[in-house]
Amino acid sequence: MKKYLNTPIKEIITNFPQVGNILEAYNIGCVPCTLGSCLLKDIVSIHNLPKDQESELMYRIEKVLYPDRDVKKPIIGNLLQKEAPRELKYSPPIKRLVDEHVLIKQLLTLMPKVIANIDMESDFDRQIILDSLDFIRFYADKFHHAKEEDILFEYTDKNLDIIKTMLADHETARAHVRAVFAALKTQDKKSIIENLNAYCALLAEHIKKEDEILYPWIDRGLTTKQVGELFARFNEAEEKMNMEVIEKCKRFIAELAQKVTKLKGRE
Amino acid sequence: MSKEMSKDMCGCPGAAMQDFRGEQETKEETGKRQSQLRQWPLQLHLISPLAPYYQKADVLLSADCVAFTVGDFHKDFLKGKSLAIACPKLDEGQDIYVEKIKSLIDDAKINTLTVMIMQVPCCGGLVALAKEALKAAKRKIPVKAIVVSLQGDVLSEEWVGD
Repeated sequence: MKKYLNTPIKEIITNFPQVGNILEAYNIGCVPCTLGSCLLKDIVSIHNLPKDQESELMYRIEKVLYPDRDVKKPIIGNLLQKEAPRELKYSPPIKRLVDEHVLIKQLLTLMPKVIANIDMESDFDRQIILDSLDFIRFYADKFHHAKEEDILFEYTDKNLDIIKTMLADHETARAHVRAVFAALKTQDKKSIIENLNAYCALLAEHIKKEDEILYPWIDRGLTTKQVGELFARFNEAEEKMNMEVIEKCKRFIAELAQKVTKLKGRE
Repeated sequence: MSKEMSKDMCGCPGAAMQDFRGEQETKEETGKRQSQLRQWPLQLHLISPLAPYYQKADVLLSADCVAFTVGDFHKDFLKGKSLAIACPKLDEGQDIYVEKIKSLIDDAKINTLTVMIMQVPCCGGLVALAKEALKAAKRKIPVKAIVVSLQGDVLSEEWVGD
């Protein structure tokens, strides 16, 4: 089992697809992960399952990996009695990042409606795309992702696969934004739609991973002193930013729902 | 359980008599434990937020009774922190407390504030004072509340301020 505990999860799922199903049953979403380079042992520890559930998960995985082995079934409490979902409680600096996700998620919710009704000949429509890209660049990237990359991730080991996966997601997202800018110049509607859709799918999954797995895991490892430092460093970083631009981004999201209605009303 | 609670008290859980004798383990401990206290004075009326040990510090604001109930108070909670103590039930001049805590946040620029209280309802007043000070302060800092039982177990630990 030690061999598999130190094996990247993608490799395990490729060779034993059933393991992916088992992980999904415990809300561990490794199957759609873009990289899948996290080691099985790290995945188990990062998700911080209740002890009973972790024992059961490992038992089921080991049975798949070693079907001929006499794996001892763990003595588990009343598994039929489902635990109530645990409420995630974040420290104040981490909570700030989660709150920033809320605004980004609003864009992700509205974007499919924008895409479905986009008219490349219309200045109004093109402006919505440009404003959305500004929101992504200034709010989602410079305001939010920069806090993670320049500050938060310093409190972790940047060589960990889960951090590498998050950084790779940021880079992929930036590539999609660059592609939309390029496509706008050439009026390539197909490329605009493809890249915006890909951006939204990537970010939705990325945010879910951060809110539910990465942030709680980082939070658990922070000392009180580090929480205070992190909070102060986020404040300093924000003081250096042009908050007028950030306020404009917030206004844009507040107005976007209204603008989407206008796009639809044209049909 | 040998716990006994007086039935003829005024009804305030904070003053209800309880007897824990016989519930402690009798294991002998050897050696001496080092104090983690790094300052004097401690009482919130007596401390000055301008004292050097408060500057940019992680501060523990503890209800008076806490240190007597938590066996490892020094090792687990006081270590690395500057301290202030108060009783939200019996102390007078609590508006001064709010000003002192506000000054710790704004003038001493403390890094974090951990408020440690007993489970009895009246002790919640100390967290309320800290929240009031945080609200009035110009700076914002993380504030944590830790509630301990009458026998020194941590009942809850959560961040309350942003």
